[in-house]
Amino acid sequence: MAGYKKLVHDQGKQKETAIYVNSTVPKNRLEVLKWNGWGYKDSKFIYDAEKKEVRFTGRRYPIGEVQLPLLVGWVTENFDADFSVSKPSQQIPPEDTFPKPRISDENLTKIANLGISYSTKGVERLVRAHGQTLHSIYTLRYSSFERIPDVVLWPTCHDDVIKLVRLADDNNMVIIPFGGGTAVSSAVDCPIMEHRTIISLDTSQMNRILWVDRENLVACCESGIIGQDLERELRKLGFTSGHEPDSYEFSSLGGWVATRASGMKKNTYGNIEDLLVHVKMVTPKGVLEKNCQVPRLSSGPDFNHVVMGSEGSLGVITEVVIKIRPLPACQKFGSIVFPDFESGLRCMREVAKQRCQPSSIRLMDNGQFALGMLLKPGSSYFGLILDGLKKFYVTKIRGFDVKKMCVMTLLFEGDEADIKVQEKKIYAIGATFGGMPAGQTNGERGYMLTFVIAYIRDLALEYEIVAESFETSVPWDRALVLCNNVKQCVAHECKSLGIDYFMINCRVTQTYDAGCVIYFYLAFNYRDVEDPVEVHHLIESKARDEIVACGGSISHHHGVGKIRKKWYPDTVSRVGVDLFLATKKELDPNNVFGVGNLVQAKL
Amino acid sequence: MSAAPRCYEDMLASRREEFSNFMWASRHLKPQVAYQQERRALPQYHKDEVLKCPKIQELLETLSQQQNVAREVLEAQVKSILDEIGYNKKLKVIRWLGLALVKITKKICSGIYINRSAIVHVKAQMGDCPVIFVPSHRSYADFILMSLICFSEDMAIPAIAAGMDFHGMWGMGTMLRDTGAFFMRRTYNNDSLYWTTFKQYVYQLVTKGDLPIEFFIEGTRSRSNKSLMPKYGLILMILKAFFLSQVPDILFVPINISYERILEEKLFAFELLGVPKPKESTSGFFKSLSIMKEKYGAIYFDMAQPISAKQFFGAKFNKSGHNLQPIHQQEITEEEKKLIPELAHEIVLQQQKHCVITTFNLIAIVLHHNLFNEKSLMGVDDLCTQVLWLKKILEAVGAFVQTDDVRNSVFEALEVHKNIVRVDESGKVTLVWNQIVLDKANIGKLKAHNLSETTLTTCVPFIMLQLYINPVLHYLVDCAILVAILKQQALTPDELFGRYHFLRALLSQEFVTFSTREKMEFEVALENCLKLNLVAKNGDVYETGSDKKSQDVVSGCIDGFIFTYFVVCSVLLQSVDGVIDEKTILTRVQAEIEARLNEDNAFIHPYSLSLDTITNCLTTLSNEKILVKTRSKNSILYEINPAGVLSVKSKLEEFVAPSHSLQTKLESIQLHLKTKL
Ligand SMILES: Cc1cc2nc3c(=O)[nH]c(=O)nc-3n(C[C@H](O)[C@H](O)[C@H](O)COP(=O)(O)OP(=O)(O)OC[C@H]3O[C@@H](n4cnc5c(N)ncnc54)[C@H](O)[C@@H]3O)c2cc1C
Repeated sequence: MAGYKKLVHDQGKQKETAIYVNSTVPKNRLEVLKWNGWGYKDSKFIYDAEKKEVRFTGRRYPIGEVQLPLLVGWVTENFDADFSVSKPSQQIPPEDTFPKPRISDENLTKIANLGISYSTKGVERLVRAHGQTLHSIYTLRYSSFERIPDVVLWPTCHDDVIKLVRLADDNNMVIIPFGGGTAVSSAVDCPIMEHRTIISLDTSQMNRILWVDRENLVACCESGIIGQDLERELRKLGFTSGHEPDSYEFSSLGGWVATRASGMKKNTYGNIEDLLVHVKMVTPKGVLEKNCQVPRLSSGPDFNHVVMGSEGSLGVITEVVIKIRPLPACQKFGSIVFPDFESGLRCMREVAKQRCQPSSIRLMDNGQFALGMLLKPGSSYFGLILDGLKKFYVTKIRGFDVKKMCVMTLLFEGDEADIKVQEKKIYAIGATFGGMPAGQTNGERGYMLTFVIAYIRDLALEYEIVAESFETSVPWDRALVLCNNVKQCVAHECKSLGIDYFMINCRVTQTYDAGCVIYFYLAFNYRDVEDPVEVHHLIESKARDEIVACGGSISHHHGVGKIRKKWYPDTVSRVGVDLFLATKKELDPNNVFGVGNLVQAKL
Repeated sequence: MSAAPRCYEDMLASRREEFSNFMWASRHLKPQVAYQQERRALPQYHKDEVLKCPKIQELLETLSQQQNVAREVLEAQVKSILDEIGYNKKLKVIRWLGLALVKITKKICSGIYINRSAIVHVKAQMGDCPVIFVPSHRSYADFILMSLICFSEDMAIPAIAAGMDFHGMWGMGTMLRDTGAFFMRRTYNNDSLYWTTFKQYVYQLVTKGDLPIEFFIEGTRSRSNKSLMPKYGLILMILKAFFLSQVPDILFVPINISYERILEEKLFAFELLGVPKPKESTSGFFKSLSIMKEKYGAIYFDMAQPISAKQFFGAKFNKSGHNLQPIHQQEITEEEKKLIPELAHEIVLQQQKHCVITTFNLIAIVLHHNLFNEKSLMGVDDLCTQVLWLKKILEAVGAFVQTDDVRNSVFEALEVHKNIVRVDESGKVTLVWNQIVLDKANIGKLKAHNLSETTLTTCVPFIMLQLYINPVLHYLVDCAILVAILKQQALTPDELFGRYHFLRALLSQEFVTFSTREKMEFEVALENCLKLNLVAKNGDVYETGSDKKSQDVVSGCIDGFIFTYFVVCSVLLQSVDGVIDEKTILTRVQAEIEARLNEDNAFIHPYSLSLDTITNCLTTLSNEKILVKTRSKNSILYEINPAGVLSVKSKLEEFVAPSHSLQTKLESIQLHLKTKL
């Protein structure tokens, strides 16, 4: 196996400067994370039967421990939800109920001899058997997985990975890299038909910042570092990566690279493909990397793009050199309300045209706007809308239809003077589309809710509502129609499936020169539905067909994984599929990385 | 299949009860729109958007460079084109018109019978995507009725695609425009500025409008009272938005409007013979409103189950086919175009399925049979018995026949149609011959052969009668073909299908059908024939069944058509140089038929003179590549493939050769007719 030896001499140097990160998420994830839902154990929405109110627990988020008086009424009305009966999750399964690890004693011994921490405990394997799709969470709560990894390994460095990959390749075992487990494409799920031993390669213990280069403003990190740890550590040094996907509290650098992730503040800092300067990927054929750490390279096709988006099916990403930026002096939120979605969207387009986007600019449709209002502590719905909009409400908002209006949220970063200029420009553009500034708090809440909203699904499931999101990217001239058609399509499918209570809404989360990103939320009451996960899958599938028909993509950042494979060949053409398969065959002839994402590799 | 029982209620009933309809006409309106838009688009907005859209702007750019004309000049042209096209919406006009129409219809109609549950069903599906109303087109009244019913049933009054002929009518044009009509030129030239603008306007209405859109898929009023071949122009413009995924779906609502008596019956009869249609003018229109003194009986209005384009086309086309260019530069592809005929035909089929057969339709068939096949005229009792008998047959083949008490219905029908049929002094039912007054002005300029005045006066009543037979024929044509074939000889199923296929295809223009349905329709018809004893199975072969009378009635329905087709073939074969223009064909065929009409030994149906039938025949022969049609400046030329024509003619021969027994039977009636004339 060529390529391995060459790298060893770097090791000593790294150790001197490396930052050993004490992660918020420990090796035993369940110490802080839920086993059957999203996020921290201490943070969740709960229904307080006595007060008949919903509350968010814990103090990690600003929304914590305040009453949300409006939610229950709204959910009852809009979803016909019944808070008197809940559908609680099953308890964490006892150790003896898990499928026996399918691993020969011989191979287990070999693994033990690697000197890498490992476990065959059921819970550890279960925790790494899934991402965050509805399907997985529902399965965790109410049934069980057919296939989970047979053994979990925690390598602590690049060399560990090399040894492990070699072992797997020599002994016909499968490796599924596992970062933060936040995938929403079933990318980390085990292929049910896989009979070989499946190793879950958990990168979490490989999370050092190996060095920071202040001159070139780059940092070399091991791939297992998760977003919040990375930010915290860089911050201590006065830097930021600026990469903030909504999952950044838990998702890992390696995961970002493997899925082509996109962060909220990409306008300032770029997406992962802009941030990535150098990457190492360990494959059964050796390590794919470059011999220089340069800002740009004209040297044939860029293999970084083979690594990015590989979704665990070509090798393990071990070390990544990413750009870092000095921390901005100031951060400021803002918001603009528009009379209707179309006005808001036109404004987004204009902002993109003038390339004056602040760090983040998003547009919530009326449905999301209303939902955001509901998550506000306060007395009455009407009062809430007034709140923050008060000043101009009296004079101007009367012209707005509460059933149509939508809100744009803004996040500015930079020094104060820069921000002032930016603000002025954005608000002026907003005004030409009938928009009115609606204050900082509204903006700030919008961004805060982004992190909290992921928690809501667990509560919803408990009261027989399924919820899921999906996203796409689309050229500007097709964006509005795409939003409308997808909503119609979902509504139509729901109705024809006999689902009376559902919600479909969307927001524009990113803008580009040539188009934008649309993010949809779908939820429905599943009381009368036999198999909610299947029905949801059906609806989402129709929605994706509609997206594609409207000129949208298979995905902007969630990736293909297993649930979007159906649309992959048409997306990249037959030749594209063959090219990918040829690459796969070259890098991984024995299909060690048999995770089965993107296309079924017939190897 | 429409399992729900069809049930019609008189929309005018509650209007008759009111002392004044003013309150009704001025009530608060909250109509159901077709496609709820976030922003409500007003008529002017649509025009502005069309002008602003990149497609038109880019075209202006190109044209201004090509023709070296200032862009502003061209832009002004587009504006005036849009003013010519664009609909308007004046609620006041709509209300007054509603009031007036109710007054008029209450006077001249016995009722406007609507299938309310069907309407409610359609309404319930409206709101989420463009909805297209596609009514059958048998009369100018269709326009007005549609809007009246929408107004009355709280549906948004549609934007209606209307021909420019209306536009010219003083007052009328404005009124129609104010109630939602938009206008389309009929000339098919390549005025790209006009057509691009028009198409963009339709596209705008489909994608951004909230009103239903109404258009007539048959393209024009059917003069024959039969369905016409669907036209693909407008439906294509409408479907563009769907194929480009610019709308979630499009719902097409086939609508049937059946008239007990058509306002334009006399005009149509003349037009079919070649007496030119008077140019639409307001005074002409009001003259035809002398109609006000007459009775027109019942009007039936029914909506079929909406057809969703999304469901209809399913996975038949590449959904991402339009993804790689700016959306405004996309056009519907050839593959997509190919899918349209099937939908268009389905719409026409549904229009037919929702037609209502009235008592007079039955009377017309019975009387027609009586006049041609029987020795003496019938009395009213006999007529009633036969009407009832025929009703059963038609119901057996799936028709919806609206008669309650037969005797009553027959008398009412005779009253409404007393201009065509009367009961004479001796109590016999017969045609009215002597009331046809010819408008001198028009006779001079007959479109084809110069038919004699006698021919015209003789034929018009028959043709008017045929107008009421025609709408029933799509129920009977398949059975009629089978009977006609088996009357010649018994056949095995395969042979039978072979011959059926030949005739059905030949008549596919006449009795609109879509090729993919042929086998299925054959099987259904065969089953019906067996059920009705029209056909019997004898071992391996099929032969005519025991019910001779039914056979004659049924097959008699298509005799006249087959005869015309036969004569067309003969005329074509007489052409020496193999190329012949359309006018000559029409003239010669009519001349030939007129000559035969005047011979004493056989009775030829006057409807055989119908130019409509002759043109249908030419179209079919062209479609089958037996003729090659070319258009020159002022004429249409046909290049003939003689072998092909000969083959068709010889296959038709057996169906037209008059049999002797029939002739003798006919003599008395023939005499009877002659003396009467
Ligand atoms: C609430 C929520 C919000 C989200 N918001 C965003 C967002 O704003 N932007 C965005 O882009 N995504 C978002 N995601 C999706 C998800 O967080 C991203 O796809 C993320 O990049 C996955 O990282 P992870 O570390 O959790 O990877 P995992 O889920 O562990 O794995 C994802 C895939 O990458 C592979 N993989 C992981 N690590 C490696 C490695 N080191 N080498 C090779 N392959 C590897 C895995 O095998 C798997 O196929 C969100 C998800 C959730 C649940």
